[in-house]
Formats: sequence, C-alpha cells, structure tokens
Amino acid sequence: MALDQASFESLLREHQAMVFSLAYHFFHNQAIAEDVAQEVFLKLYENLHRLESPAHVASWLRRTTTHRSIDYLRRGHVRPEVQLEELPETPDLPGAADPLLHERLRRLVASLPQIPRLVVLLRYGEDLDTGEIARVLKLPVRTVWSHLYRALALLREKAARYLGEEAV
Amino acid sequence: MSRLEDELRQALRRREPPAGFAERVLARAHPRESRRPSWFHWRWLAAAAALMVLVVGLYFFEERRRRLEGERAKQQVMLALHLTGSKLRLAQQRIQRFIGPGAAFQD
Repeated sequence: MALDQASFESLLREHQAMVFSLAYHFFHNQAIAEDVAQEVFLKLYENLHRLESPAHVASWLRRTTTHRSIDYLRRGHVRPEVQLEELPETPDLPGAADPLLHERLRRLVASLPQIPRLVVLLRYGEDLDTGEIARVLKLPVRTVWSHLYRALALLREKAARYLGEEAV
Repeated sequence: MSRLEDELRQALRRREPPAGFAERVLARAHPRESRRPSWFHWRWLAAAAALMVLVVGLYFFEERRRRLEGERAKQQVMLALHLTGSKLRLAQQRIQRFIGPGAAFQD
C-alpha cells in the first residue's frame, strides 16, 4: 500500500530529528543542515506514492540524506571538510561528559573524508550495524568495515593530537 | 566498546532541528501541490485543445473549399475559351468558303 500526501506531516515530524542530525553532523553547520534536510523532505513529498510503508520511509530518508549531502558538497556550496587548523586549542581537557569535548569530537568527525564520515555518523549517530550501513551507502560490507576501522584509527590519532591523550 | 566509541555515541546523538523547521517544509511543499494541474485545470486545458482543433479544422476546410472553387472557375474559363476558339475557327472557315480560295490575296 503506497503512502499518501496526508501522511506526510506525521512522517516529517517523526523523522525530522534523524534527517537534520545526519546533515548537521555531516556539515557541522546548522544552516546548511536545515537546507539539506528541507530538500530531503520535499523529495520525500514528491516520492511518497513510491514508498510502500512507514518502515521503508526511514531507510529511504537515510539514503537520500547521505546522497543529498554528498551532492551538496559536489555542487560546491560548501568546503568539503572542517579544517583541523580551525579547531580551537585545548588548554586543559575537562572530563568525558564535557559538552566542549563532544563539540570538538563532532568537529573531528566533520573533518573526515566524506564516506568514512558517513560511516561513522550512521554507526554511532544512527546506531546502524555494518550491514545496514552497507545498504544505505550501497557499498560492500567489507568496504564499510574498512572505512570504519580506518576512520576510528584516524579519529584516535586526531583526538590524541588535538584533544589530548585523555580523550582516547 | 572503547572510550572513543562511547564518546562518539554521545557526541553524535540526534538533535532536534531549529524551531519551525516542519512548518517551513510544509510551506514549501504546499505551493508545489497547488502548482500541479487539478481536474479543474485539466478541464480547461482539454477545452482549449478542443477549441484549437476546431479552429484549425475550420481553417483547412475553408482553404480546401476555396481551392476547389478556384479550380472549378478555372475549368469554366478554359471551357469558355475553348468554345470561343471553336466558334472563331468555324466563322473563319465559313468566311473563307464564302469569298473563295486565294481571296485573301486579292485587293
């Protein structure tokens, strides 16, 4: 059974945090994240008749958000990654629950190359397993594992360099 | 799970979009809907298309009628010329018979 336009508003309210968060953590920029998230939901509105169930909508939205985010970068609207030089100095690192530490971690994630960044976002932001990530990004599971492994290694190295040993 | 992974989960947890996000999306979605042709619009488009077919059809019908009339008039003119020519030839033959052969060379 296809979804109709009347169900759009409830789907929008149900999934807005997921779509916005994926875009936000990808770009580390609220304005761009809202722009991309709006485009994703307008695309959903136009394609509702093709989606079979609400369960299908969540995976469709994840896939579309990741693709739109990459497209947005390719169209040259924004610089590819947050530059590490932009990261603030870390005088004395507070404890793990410190929001400042998390903000710095988000910036580190945003400085990763596109695909490893998406793998990390889907793994730790959306709590997907590697099989689900592979389906969203249309990559082999082994490639996802490889991206995840290398991204974590890179993050550990960057975190040690920019956030201090305590963070890792 | 390593401490880094745990921190990543917390750092990357979902966040709500800015206030009014859903309303802004809905406002952008609805004009798209109104731009789609409704049945009302389709009816007007169909009527306009039918009218155009009628006008074009009448134009070609009138053109054909005029062409046929022209051809008929041309045939009538040709027939009249042909008849006139025949009458003239007949009259010339009678005159020549009346005045005799070679009369045309006499003064």
